[in-house]
Amino acid sequence: MARPAHPQAMQPVKPGRTRTAPPTMPPQFPMTGRYRAYTLFDATGFLYLFVGFVALRVVWALGTGSAAWANIQQQLANPLYIGFHVITLAAVCFVAVRFFGLFPKAQPPRIGPLKPPPGPVIVGMLYAAWIGITVLMSAALMGGIS
Amino acid sequence: MSDPPKKTFVITRFDPDVDEVPKTQSYEIAVDPDWKVLDAVNYIKDEVDGTLSHRWSCRMAVCGSCGMMVNGEPRLTCKDSVSQYGDTVEITPLSNFPVIRDLVVEMDGFMDKFKKVKPWIIRAKELAAEDGPVRQSPEELEEFKQFSMCINCMLCYSACPVVSNEPEFLGPAAIALGHRYNVDSRDEGASERNAIFRGEGTVFSCSFANECSEVCPKNVDPAAAVNQAKFNAVIDWATGLVLPSGEKE
Amino acid sequence: MEIEVLRHDIVIVGGGGAGLRAAIAVAEADPSVSIGMVSKVYPMRSHTVSAEGGAAAVARDDDDFEMHGYDTVKGSDFLGDQDVIQYFVQEAPKELALLEHWGCPWSRNEDGTVATRAFGGMSTKRTWFATDKVGFHMLHALFQHSMRFDQIVRYDEQFVTKLLVDGNTIRGVAALDIREGVMRLVLGRAVVLATGGGGKAFPFTTNGNIKTGDGMALAYRAGVALKDMEFVQYHPTGLPGTGILITEAARGEGGYLRNADGERFLVERDYGVGTKAELGPRDMISRAIIQEIEAGRAVTQGDWGEHVYLDLTHLGEEKIQSRIPMVRELSKLYVGVDPVHDPIPIRPVVHYMMGGIDTDIEGGTSIDGLYAAGECASVSLNGANRLGSNSLTECLVFGARSGRKALEFARGASEGDESSLRSEGANEAGRVDALRAKTSGTEKISGLRRALNDTMESGCGVYREEVQIQASVDTVQEIKRRFEDVEIQDHSKVFNTELISVLELSNMIDISEALTSCAVVRKESRGAHTRRDFPNRDDQNFLHHSLCHFDSTGPKVSTKPVTLGKWEPEERKY
Repeated sequence: MARPAHPQAMQPVKPGRTRTAPPTMPPQFPMTGRYRAYTLFDATGFLYLFVGFVALRVVWALGTGSAAWANIQQQLANPLYIGFHVITLAAVCFVAVRFFGLFPKAQPPRIGPLKPPPGPVIVGMLYAAWIGITVLMSAALMGGIS
Repeated sequence: MSDPPKKTFVITRFDPDVDEVPKTQSYEIAVDPDWKVLDAVNYIKDEVDGTLSHRWSCRMAVCGSCGMMVNGEPRLTCKDSVSQYGDTVEITPLSNFPVIRDLVVEMDGFMDKFKKVKPWIIRAKELAAEDGPVRQSPEELEEFKQFSMCINCMLCYSACPVVSNEPEFLGPAAIALGHRYNVDSRDEGASERNAIFRGEGTVFSCSFANECSEVCPKNVDPAAAVNQAKFNAVIDWATGLVLPSGEKE
Repeated sequence: MEIEVLRHDIVIVGGGGAGLRAAIAVAEADPSVSIGMVSKVYPMRSHTVSAEGGAAAVARDDDDFEMHGYDTVKGSDFLGDQDVIQYFVQEAPKELALLEHWGCPWSRNEDGTVATRAFGGMSTKRTWFATDKVGFHMLHALFQHSMRFDQIVRYDEQFVTKLLVDGNTIRGVAALDIREGVMRLVLGRAVVLATGGGGKAFPFTTNGNIKTGDGMALAYRAGVALKDMEFVQYHPTGLPGTGILITEAARGEGGYLRNADGERFLVERDYGVGTKAELGPRDMISRAIIQEIEAGRAVTQGDWGEHVYLDLTHLGEEKIQSRIPMVRELSKLYVGVDPVHDPIPIRPVVHYMMGGIDTDIEGGTSIDGLYAAGECASVSLNGANRLGSNSLTECLVFGARSGRKALEFARGASEGDESSLRSEGANEAGRVDALRAKTSGTEKISGLRRALNDTMESGCGVYREEVQIQASVDTVQEIKRRFEDVEIQDHSKVFNTELISVLELSNMIDISEALTSCAVVRKESRGAHTRRDFPNRDDQNFLHHSLCHFDSTGPKVSTKPVTLGKWEPEERKY
C-alpha cells in the first residue's frame, strides 16, 4: 500500500458529497523509478550545506592566524575530506547536467521584445559558461598560489 | 491456434458504504494481445464483475477520462497496450486524489484549481461576432499551441511530488493552462494571471521534478509551462517596479 | 423521503458543444438569469472532444452563402429544410469568429487569417480547422470560456432520467446524482436538451461510450417525435477493430482511397462522385467502399477483416505532421501503421445520426419550453446526409439560438406546481431505486447490448433491405421485452456505473425502436438510407421527413413536409 499523501491533497473547496478514501502518494515516490534521480537532485542540498560549513571554517582559520591556517590545511588533506569533496563535485556535475537539460524549456517564447535562442544553443551557452568560469577561476587560484 | 494468454489484474476496490479502506481484488482473464489496458478493465466490468466502477468514454486518447495507475505509474489506459505488461497488472486509482469509488477519483478539487487561473481570454475591450476573427500569425499560434493540447486527464497531478504534500498547489495542468492564455497573442490578461502566479501555492512551489512532463500522454510538457510562468511572473513583477502601472503592454 | 429540489431559470442537459454554447448564449444575453447545466460527465469529457476535421463556415473571397447553402441542400439529398440551411450558413461565420475570440486555436494562413481546408461535398475550402483536433479545441475553448460566468451552475456527473412535463409545458428534469446515488429535481422554466447522438446502439462506431441517445430517448418517452431517425451516417474511414475515426481532413489534405489492387476506385469506377473523387459526400463514399468489398477488391489479409486503404504516403511527413498529426498518432497507436510510410486500413463506420428530436428552426419542440440542439436534435439541417464539418458549426449556431429562444420563453413562463412535481419526482426516484435494488434479473447487460448492436448493424447498415430491417424491428421489440429481466449485480449507491449502463441501454433500445421503425417504412434510397430493394430516390412518395412517436402499444410513424425553397430537388450527382 502506498504511503498516504497530505490528507487535503486534491480535495475540493466544497467538501465531497460522499466519504472518500484519502489520497496516497505516487507509489514510486521517493526512491524508485525516475523519482530516484529527483530525490538525489534534491538531496544534494545537504552536501552544499556541509560545504558551506567547511568554507566558513576555512575562512575563520584564515582570520585567526597562520597556525590555525596550517592546521586547517592539514585537516583538508585528510582522505575523508578529499572524499567528501569528490562526492560534492560529482553532485555539482549531476545537478548542473540535469539543470542544464531542463533549463531551455523554462524559457518563455518571448521575453519582452526578445526571443530566446533555440534550446541546443542555450544548452551550449550554459556549458560554455560553466567551463569558462571553471577555467578562469582555476587560473586565478593557481596564479594566486605561485 | 494457441490459447489466448491469461493475465491477472489486481484492481483497487472501494465502496465507501461498505469498506473502511480500499482493498484489492484479482481477476484472471484471457486477454487479446491487441487490447489496451482499458479494454481489459471494460471486459472485467462487462463479463466478470458488474460492480467494478471506472470512468471512460472516447477510447481514443482525447477525452481524458480513463487515467489510472498501472503498475504504479499514472497512465491513460486507452493508450496503453495490455501486451506491454507482464502476467500481473496492478491497477489503482490515480495517486494524490481522494478516491470516491474503486478506480473513480474526486475531480472537483482539480476543477477548483482549474478555474483559479482564469482560463479564458481576457481583453480590455470585448469583441463582437461582427468584428470577425482576430489575426494571429502561425508563429504566434506556435507559442502557445503545445500548452493548449491538455486533455485534463490529471495524470500530471498523480505524478507530482508537490501535489502530494502541498494541497494549495495549483498543479501542473492548471498552471499550464493559465500560461497558455498568457502567451496567446490575443489575450491581455497576463498581468492578472501573473499576480495569481506570484501568490502562495502556485508556480514557485514547483521544484521542477519534471515528473508531470514525463507522464503527460499528450506531450504538453507542463513542467515547461510552469517554469516559463515563473520566468514571466518575475519579469512582470520587475517591470511593474520600473514602470508605473498602466504603462505596461 | 422528501426529494431535493433545485431551481434555475433555464436547465440545460448536456455539456458538450451545443449545451455549452446554449449556456453561454443565455449567460451573455442576461447575466441575472440562473442556468443549471446537468451533464452525465464533466463537460470536457463530452464527445464533441472527439471531432477532428473542422467546422464549416464561409470565409474565403471565392465562397458565399449561396454556395454553402446549395452544397448542404445537395448533400442532404434535398431532405434538409432550406430555411434552416439558409439561416445556418449566414450565422456560421459569426459563430466561428466568436469561438476565435474565446481562444480557439484555429490554424492560420501566413497573413494571420484563419486557414480553411477542403472537405467532402463542399465546393470550396470552407472548413476551419485547428490541425485535426477541432472538436477538442472547440470544446475546451467553450468550456473554459463558460467558466467565467458564475451564473452557469454545473451539475457534473448527474444523469437525467426523466423530463418533467405538466400538461404540455416543461417544468424541469429528474436527475440521478451518480456520485451519491440519489435523485433530485432540477426545475426550470425552460429546458434545452443537448445530449448528443446514440451511435453506441451500433457495434462498430466512432462514438464514445457516452453516446447512448439519452436526450433523444427522454424526449421520445415524453411524447416528442423523433425525426428522420433512419438516416445514420457511416463515415468512410474508421479504423478496423476499434472504429476509431480517421478524419475526412486526411482526404481534404489530399489522401487517396485505394483497394487491394492499389486502384483509386473512386476515380477508376463510377460511384457518382465525379471529379470530386475522395472529396465526395460520406454516404456515397461509404457505399463505394462496401461495393469494392462485395466485388472482392478489398484487402483481406491481416487481422483487420475486409477493408480498403487510405493512402497518405504521397503527402509527406511534414504535411501530415503539421495538418493532420492526430491521424498519425491514432494510426500508430491503434493499428500500428505510420501513415507517412504505409497506407491506413479503413472501413465505413457508424458516425453520426442525422435524425433526432424533431425541432423547428429555433430548436423548439412540440412541448412548450423544451428545446433541443446539436446531434440529439433534428433541426433538419442535415436531411438525409450530413456534410462533414457542418455539425460542429451546427452545435454553435443552433445551440446559441435554442439558448436565446429558451430564455425568451422562460421570461414569460410560470413555475410549475411544486407539490405535484415533487410527487412525480418521488415516483421516478422510486423507479430508479427499484431498478438498482432489483435482484431477480437473468439477462446480462453486455448480452443485451450485443444483441441490440448486432441487429442494428444487420438491419440498418450502409445497405438495407426489407427483410433485414423488419427482422431488426422485431428483434428490437424482443430485446425490449428481455430488458425487463435485466440483471443488476451492483446494488450500491455511490458511483454505480452499472446502473447508469442499464439506464443507457434502455435509452438505446428506445431510439433503436424509432430508428428501425422509420427505416422500414422509407421504401426509397435517399442519402444515407440506401435500400437494395428500392435503389432510387422517390420524390413522389418520400420527399418528406419521417416522424416517430412513442406509444405504449408501439411506435407510431408519420410524416412531415420538407421545407423547400430556391433549390428544387434534382438528381444528386457530383
